[in-house]
Amino acid sequence: MNKEEILSKVNEAFVSVLEHNNFELTDQTTADDVDGWESITHMMIITEVEKKFEIKFKLMDLMNMNNVGDLINTITSEI
Amino acid sequence: MKFVKRLQKSIENHIHNNALCINNSFYTYKDFALTISKIRASIVETVAESEKLIGLVTNDDIETYATIIALWLEGKAYVPVNPATPIERNEKIFELTGTKYVIDSSESSLYHKFSIIDPKESEEVDIDLTPKKFSGDQLAYILFTSGTTGLPKGVPITFDNLDSLVSAIDDEPTFSLNEKDRCLQMFELTFDFSVVAYLFPFLAGSCLYTIPNGAIKYFYIFKLIEEQKLTVLTMVPSIINYLRPYFSEINATDVRYCSFGGGALYKDIAKEWSACLPNSKIFNYYGPTEFTVYSGFYPYHKDTHQKAYNGIIAIGTPQKDTSYLIVNEDNEEVAINVMGELCLAGPQITPGYWKNEERNTHCFFNRQEGNKIVRYYKTGDLCIKDEEGDYLYVGRADFQVKIRGYRVELAEIEFHAKSKSQIKVNMVALDIKNNLGNTELALAIESEEFDTETLFEYMKTKMPNYMIPTQVKFVKEFPHSINGKIDRKKLKAFFDKKLSNQ
Repeated sequence: MNKEEILSKVNEAFVSVLEHNNFELTDQTTADDVDGWESITHMMIITEVEKKFEIKFKLMDLMNMNNVGDLINTITSEI
Repeated sequence: MKFVKRLQKSIENHIHNNALCINNSFYTYKDFALTISKIRASIVETVAESEKLIGLVTNDDIETYATIIALWLEGKAYVPVNPATPIERNEKIFELTGTKYVIDSSESSLYHKFSIIDPKESEEVDIDLTPKKFSGDQLAYILFTSGTTGLPKGVPITFDNLDSLVSAIDDEPTFSLNEKDRCLQMFELTFDFSVVAYLFPFLAGSCLYTIPNGAIKYFYIFKLIEEQKLTVLTMVPSIINYLRPYFSEINATDVRYCSFGGGALYKDIAKEWSACLPNSKIFNYYGPTEFTVYSGFYPYHKDTHQKAYNGIIAIGTPQKDTSYLIVNEDNEEVAINVMGELCLAGPQITPGYWKNEERNTHCFFNRQEGNKIVRYYKTGDLCIKDEEGDYLYVGRADFQVKIRGYRVELAEIEFHAKSKSQIKVNMVALDIKNNLGNTELALAIESEEFDTETLFEYMKTKMPNYMIPTQVKFVKEFPHSINGKIDRKKLKAFFDKKLSNQ
């Protein structure tokens, strides 16, 4: 799976949790840039991403995830 | 005001220690003392002596913490408002308290209706932490919680109230912080639990670690535990619900104390969590805002102390100088093992709700005990006292509902529903009005949809028919209040509006 494909699936996860698509995800995107992305929805997005990619994140990875780029790198290393 | 004097001594004696870690920046007690002193100087210069209730916008910075101490040294109270809360509500709070001055470290303050003091603009002065002389019945803070009428209700706490809290915790040898401790402060300063999370570390010269705005709270807490090797955790139980899928990865050997409060702690998750903190004591604290944060605790231990009722860990015994009394609807004491409303008396009791006579008449009562008149606060919490003198939490009095004439405890339904479920998810029982205007029971499940047949069959073996929920909704994520408690009102709306389970 290339980076575009990963990003597109990640995007789907965000849309399904946040119920809107008023955002563009890039490597630098953080919770501050996206409406509704906060502590609780973050947990839901993580679960959704885990399901879509059939992976299970480590808490160590999650605690250092600061932007969408970090999320994609972690996914890449897991699949 | 012994504790204000002690704060002064603690800050002066630990001048080279770290006091705060905010967003990866450390501040020593010397930095803290300087910040307190300069804010204090601008308060003295700007605010009239007679102005006692000062607004505070609670940003996550050293100035906000320093302002609390600066106000206390001057015998004044802080009235905190959260910058994330709508400004209309915050202005309403300042109107209710007659606050004229607002201390706001925000880049540009929105509180133009008030005189704004920007603590970042204050000029450097010499350290001066000697408290002014003032009387202990002066207020130290007023916190506002949501009121049933839509108007927020204010709970004032005096310096004497806080002195009694500090003295009660001091009296408890099993909890004693020291200057080497690294303590979690995860609370909004508008939530009373924050008071114990910052006050006890400052009194001991420990370092406080805050959660930056915008951080993913649950993971940030874990990051602090892991990287900063926190030793003292003070938290609401909902935090560990979110970390639960990752418990197997957590082995926090440095944690010595973990205090829970502000919500029911469940036995099964407490046991799993205690395995993550192999060297920690776990305290289940109880106490309403009206009684200065804590009124007592139960010393949980996964092997020796796991007393629970409907799966909820006991709240134990009252602390020094506090009395518990369980009463019936006529405010008369009930017998051992009989459920009633828990009432509290002692020096930590609030003088009463802020300008709310009606509520005060309703929530406080006097009782003749020997030759003394004792004033009690009615908590609205249903409890049972057992033979050993431990108090067991049953549920909120307002969560006790009547279904077809029967009294039903919502917590009991939740307990049975959860105990059978294969997947560990949150469930909340709610009373809702059906189309005919009758009260019906509903079960909200925080999960993707799954088959509930076995769960209901099990509940039917444990409870009478009228206690079995007639409606079920799956909610992906329960709505929470700002304090991390499940927002039942919002949850009920999922049933009212017949919303889908998205």
